Order: sequence, then C-alpha cells, then structure tokens
Amino acid sequence: MYRTFLPALALTVTILLPSFVSRSFAEEVLTEQRFHQLHKQLQPAADELWRTIPWRTSLLAAQQRAIAEKKPIFIWAMDGHPLGCT
Amino acid sequence: MLRTQFIAVAIDQAYQRRQQDAEGEFYRKIAGQGPRNNFQSTTQGFYIASADGTLLLYNNNRDPEKLQRLMQQRLQDFKAPSAATPISPGTLDARYNPSPPKGGCVVRVQARVLGGYPPTTDRWKKIFQTSLSRDNLWISAAEQQALAKGQVTQSLQHRIARFHLVDNTRGEPSMWKEKEIRQIKITLDGTTLRGTVHLETDDGKRGYVAQLMGKIEMGSGKVVRFDMVADGSFWGHGPYSGNAPTGRFPFAVGFRLADGTDAADTVPPQGSRGWVQGYIR
Repeated sequence: MYRTFLPALALTVTILLPSFVSRSFAEEVLTEQRFHQLHKQLQPAADELWRTIPWRTSLLAAQQRAIAEKKPIFIWAMDGHPLGCT
Repeated sequence: MLRTQFIAVAIDQAYQRRQQDAEGEFYRKIAGQGPRNNFQSTTQGFYIASADGTLLLYNNNRDPEKLQRLMQQRLQDFKAPSAATPISPGTLDARYNPSPPKGGCVVRVQARVLGGYPPTTDRWKKIFQTSLSRDNLWISAAEQQALAKGQVTQSLQHRIARFHLVDNTRGEPSMWKEKEIRQIKITLDGTTLRGTVHLETDDGKRGYVAQLMGKIEMGSGKVVRFDMVADGSFWGHGPYSGNAPTGRFPFAVGFRLADGTDAADTVPPQGSRGWVQGYIR
C-alpha cells in the first residue's frame, strides 16, 4: 500500500510545494502604499555631509583643477567605487 | 576641509592600478610611492598628492579624527609645485573606461537592510547596519525601446536580478550566477510594473526572495520615470559583506532614474567591473 501511496505523495509534494512556496512569498503583497513608503526610505538625504563634497571621478581632471587652484589632491581609492558599490 | 582646501577625487582603484593610459600611469606614480605599491593587489586607502604626482600622505585608517589631523598637517606643509603641467588623458584604455550604452539610460540603485541586526553600541557596526548602498543600473537602447512597448526584456530582468538585487550594504557584494535565478517574472501593465523573484545559491546559504513593484513612464520613446522597489527577505552574505543578520532578514532595493546631477551617476555598475560585455549583452 505504501509503495503505491509514495509515488502519489511524491507527485503531490512536487506539484504543491512550489505553489506553496510561491504563495508564502506572495502572501505579504507589496501594496502601492508600501511601495511609495519604501521608495522614499531608499533615497539618500540631500544634506548628507559626504554628498556636499564636490567629488571628481577622474584623477586627471582633479590634477588639472589642483594646478589651477594650487591645492593638493585628496584621493579616496577603494575596492569598489566609493561613490557606488557600497 | 575637503570642500575648500583639497581637490577631492573618488576612484575604484581596481581600475586605475590596471589601466594602461595616462590616468592609470598618474595613479601608479602616486600610489607607487606608498606602502601598497604592488599593483597586482589592492592599493586602497586615502592618498594626498600634489599635482606633479608627489605623494604627501598615505593612510588607510578609518578613524575620521585621525585622518582629519593628518590632512591638516599636510596642508600646513603644502606648497603648490611650480613645475606641474596638466596631463592630457590621451587614448583611454577602453577596458577600464566603460560608458553607459548609447541610447540607453542610467538608473540609480540603492539598498538597505530593514531589520534583523542585534542591538549594538559599536560605532562602526551602527554605520554598517544603517547604511544605504549605491550602484547604477545600465539599460540598453533596445531594452528602453521594449519598455516603450510595455515589455521588460529577459536581458533586463536578469541584469536587475543578477547584479542589482544584491546586499552591498556592508562591502562588495557577491553577484548572482545565471543558474542562481530560480524564478523571475517582471511584467509591465501600463505604467505599473510588478514582479517576483527568487534567487538562491546551490548550497542554499545565500538567497533573496522578493516582490517588485514600480512605476515606469515613457516620453518620446525614452524612460522619463523609473521608480521601482524590490521588497523581500534575504539570507546569507558574501566573502566581503560579512556580519549580515542571522537567518532571514528584510531587505529592500530601490531604483530611480538618474538625472546626471550626482557625480555617482557616471560610475559604472559594480557588476560591469572589468567585464562590461558580461554585464550588458
């Protein structure tokens, strides 16, 4: 009896499990209200201090400005772009 | 101090230490005077240099007070070199100077862990735990034309999933392999975009399941609004993004069309690093 039952059970699980998993992901529906709230939450504040710095992304452009303004160059060099990535 | 007394430049040194052009040569001239002068490995850190390429400071300490003190010291000693001349960029090393696709567009991508961290009083942990990441999504001309017809191409869906639904809030993220896209469906109905995605590694140690929603508007065949959110649960971390919350944690990614007003809008996507043809096909 178990032998005949097991393939049916396996088939039922195979069919139903993905839909169960999908449904569990879809249960918390992303509403318009949450979309707008989250989208706002995922924007950087305009007054964040590092954003007020006139960063250049070209070292040679910085070199030219450094000559013109008689200033030293400050280089923030990372693995991954400091203004992107992280 | 950075705004007024220095010329500030931010770079991914993985490009400059390798690129065979004037920009790369100038960087290697400066970095080669510091302790990290093996260009086969990372040279990351903070550098202060004069316009003739003389290194004035190398520091890789993240303590802002210490760095500020060192910057002030170098400023006091600084004399602008009289012999420095502007360096012409010349011919650019194409591999390390990728441009956004012609006729396409750039979308800002920002992600945040929404919860799951244990309480902490540690200053640095707090910074990582509340950080908002930043990257750019490149959309090709063909993909933009498809959006105008109400279609989200498979290439765009997979690029979003593989390179932009990543937890890059604590360091360089692990991107998803093609086979790790277990399920993805993004559709556009009028101006409303909806979708679901399931990403997971073979060993199940890292994954993300999320719903997507967005508002896409077109004008004269071009995207004029691209607002989108991925909202779901993430688990696991990569080798350079450790200290994630334990188990599943809420994680969201936001997308907004770049308008070119931010210096970061010009930065190539992290997923295109050294392999732009693999990123945008």
